[in-house]
Amino acid sequence: MVNLINSKNKFKKVPGILFGLIAVVVIFSVTTRYFFTLNNFINILEQASILVIASFAMTLTILLGKIDMSIGSIMSLTGVVTGLMIHNGMPVWISVFLGVVAGALLGMFNGYLISYQGFDFWIVTFSSMGIIQSLALVITNGATVPGFGNDFRFLGDGSLFGLPVIVLIASGITILLVFLTLRTTFGSNLYSVGGSEQISKYAGINTEAIVFKTYILSGILAGIAGIVLASKVNSASPIAGSGYEFDAIAATLIGGTPFEGGRGGIVGTLIGALIIAILMNGLNLYGFTPPIQFTLIGFIIVLIIIIDVLNEKYKAKKWGK
Amino acid sequence: MSIKNDIILRLENITKEFPGVLALDRVSLEVKQGEVHVLLGENGAGKSTLMKILCGVYKKDGGKIFIDNKEVTINGVKDAEKLGIGIIHQEFNLLPFRDIAQNIFLGKEPRKNIKLVDVIDRSVMYKKCRELLDSLEININEYALVKDLGVAQKQMVEIAKALSSEVKILIMDEPTATLTKNEIDKLFNIIKQLKAKGVSIIYISHRLEEIKMIGDRVTVLRDGKYIGTVEVCDTSTDELVKMMVGRKIENLYNRTYNKIGKEALRVEGLTLDKRIRDVSFKIHEGEIVGFYGLVGAGRTEVAKTVFGEYKPDKGSIFVFGRKLSKLTPTEAVKNKIGLLPEDRKEEGLTIKMSVKQNIVQASLKKVFPSGILKEDLELEISKKYIKELNIATPDAHKIVKNLSGGNQQKVVLAKWLLTESDIIIFDEPTRGIDVGAKAEIYEIMDELAKKGRAIMMISSDIKEIMGLTDRIYVMYQGKIIAEFDHQNYNQEEIISFAIGKGEKHG
Repeated sequence: MVNLINSKNKFKKVPGILFGLIAVVVIFSVTTRYFFTLNNFINILEQASILVIASFAMTLTILLGKIDMSIGSIMSLTGVVTGLMIHNGMPVWISVFLGVVAGALLGMFNGYLISYQGFDFWIVTFSSMGIIQSLALVITNGATVPGFGNDFRFLGDGSLFGLPVIVLIASGITILLVFLTLRTTFGSNLYSVGGSEQISKYAGINTEAIVFKTYILSGILAGIAGIVLASKVNSASPIAGSGYEFDAIAATLIGGTPFEGGRGGIVGTLIGALIIAILMNGLNLYGFTPPIQFTLIGFIIVLIIIIDVLNEKYKAKKWGK
Repeated sequence: MSIKNDIILRLENITKEFPGVLALDRVSLEVKQGEVHVLLGENGAGKSTLMKILCGVYKKDGGKIFIDNKEVTINGVKDAEKLGIGIIHQEFNLLPFRDIAQNIFLGKEPRKNIKLVDVIDRSVMYKKCRELLDSLEININEYALVKDLGVAQKQMVEIAKALSSEVKILIMDEPTATLTKNEIDKLFNIIKQLKAKGVSIIYISHRLEEIKMIGDRVTVLRDGKYIGTVEVCDTSTDELVKMMVGRKIENLYNRTYNKIGKEALRVEGLTLDKRIRDVSFKIHEGEIVGFYGLVGAGRTEVAKTVFGEYKPDKGSIFVFGRKLSKLTPTEAVKNKIGLLPEDRKEEGLTIKMSVKQNIVQASLKKVFPSGILKEDLELEISKKYIKELNIATPDAHKIVKNLSGGNQQKVVLAKWLLTESDIIIFDEPTRGIDVGAKAEIYEIMDELAKKGRAIMMISSDIKEIMGLTDRIYVMYQGKIIAEFDHQNYNQEEIISFAIGKGEKHG
């Protein structure tokens, strides 16, 4: 018979990984002296901001049940495009705007091929990853675009109300995306398409349009991440974004959005990206060199995923099939 | 209440062709307002196809649809929704990780008036959802995730979803297939409520006893054709069965009953959670043994457990008297068990590979003991089977995806013949296959039995299973509840066991 399921709270989703975040913070706070200070927290947020934005770009496509491997390349290209325009005398704000537009166009390219042409998303985004990376190298002749003026540096290195601008940007984007994914029909459709394209089609949803728009959004976010990165490090290297796609995937998976899509979300990814940033920061305080940091982070990610899988299995057993 | 006799829906000469199969051949249907109109027919008769056309999932190739005597065009799901047509699909169409309200209002969420983006009005959505659930007396929390619901609860949510927009015509595709007796009663209550409100219901089922309980009129389809429409009160179960299965191709089944050899397969006390309950049976050499039952009765699960794909909770499997110690597909193939699965394209074939690659797939070690592939040999073997089984393909290099259903099935069969399987399991071997190819497959099966192979045959086609088998086990809700010898075959009796006669509901 139909059961009465009463408690509303039982189903409120607190991402389980929040406890992971708390655990990491507690461990580093207890074991290192410098970690639990306001300065270090601001420092961590500053370090995390670019990864957070890039990870959101990734998360949106993974929520769809797909992926965008070209995020790192888009970051590199938009960084150098914006940098070159500034060096050629374009006003800073126009250069930044056109950089973001470039990101949107690249996302549109991916999205068009995947949604309306029905190509495989791995093939499309892997190819565009290579194409976009080469483009960035070609237009710069492989050289890094050097330093910028204060106007542009404000984005990545300035501060406002005592907080780094970069942290404010990431926070603003987080709020916008949480709203978009959880409160709008677009967001609801995004989750549905990720859950099952067929069911979504049967419900009359224009699934192609959802896929297309999501890739554009992903391109825009990657573009923003690339521009802010150039501003922060005060130079635009044509390979600056390379490797970000993998950290972004890691943050997404740790945050509880699985490759199948249709569940998880922005908040989880925020936590996932923060965990990665904190691990880097904390391991640095322990005195580990970056290569060893990466190795350890890799192991920790595997551990987190194993715990998650076991937890799901346990829950499945409890609910019985 | 006045008797409502207005025709609300009229389908005229609806035709639908899939590559190689005429799924619907000028089918007509009239539905009155406020009636429960049962659509009856065997699997593959075209019921679901007709309904998918009506609700905009498929496009028709010919014919007309009238609603309230006006011709309408239905080009998509949204069109059907606007016309007041709702459907509860046979398979669940719910997203497991979304909550109930999100599923019910999928694609039609209440919106707030904000220009820039469509913002979901969550308070309205959950309130409307609660009201809807209350009106149907469904006591499930609207915030619960679908994955946490039981089958019956999911069914209720499907109903609520179909009723969330103004529905004049509600299609229910085998809604009781997975429900228990109590749940069915509840469903029937809801149907009566809807009827009282003037909603017309098209009810697809092949459980004959249900028709008496809720149906007003019955339309029977067979092999994609319209057979007739009768009033439920003027008809008998016998007549309906006759309409449903009464085809006249008697010589389709030429079975030569052989002398039964030694016991090839013995299954004892097989249990797999709730899907198989304490199932025991035997199959001998030279015997074709049928498994009959409704969809979901557990027949495919038995086949897959014997083949080692599912791990049983209890029970043992003996091949020629020897107990299998490990139950895995590898072990099954080693013990010369072959499976022609229900879903050829997903499970039976590597659809994107060629005919020859598929044929040798399960025998690579035997054919190429050195581990090095020899194309000549592969080709030679394939040609032999193409000839022997009369596989219609231009050559052995053809990709199996491009073959017709019947020829694909023969390729799967060739694969198991090459392994020299002693025990061959056919799961719905002729589903979606035209009559000509069916006859050939029957002939091959008879031939195999003659040669002493033991054959397990699952089929939902009562004529086919009665025409071909030595014995039939009837399954109902995971149990074998009856066994018939071919001398004692009685169609009505077999069907009545399959739909649960002799099974007291709890």
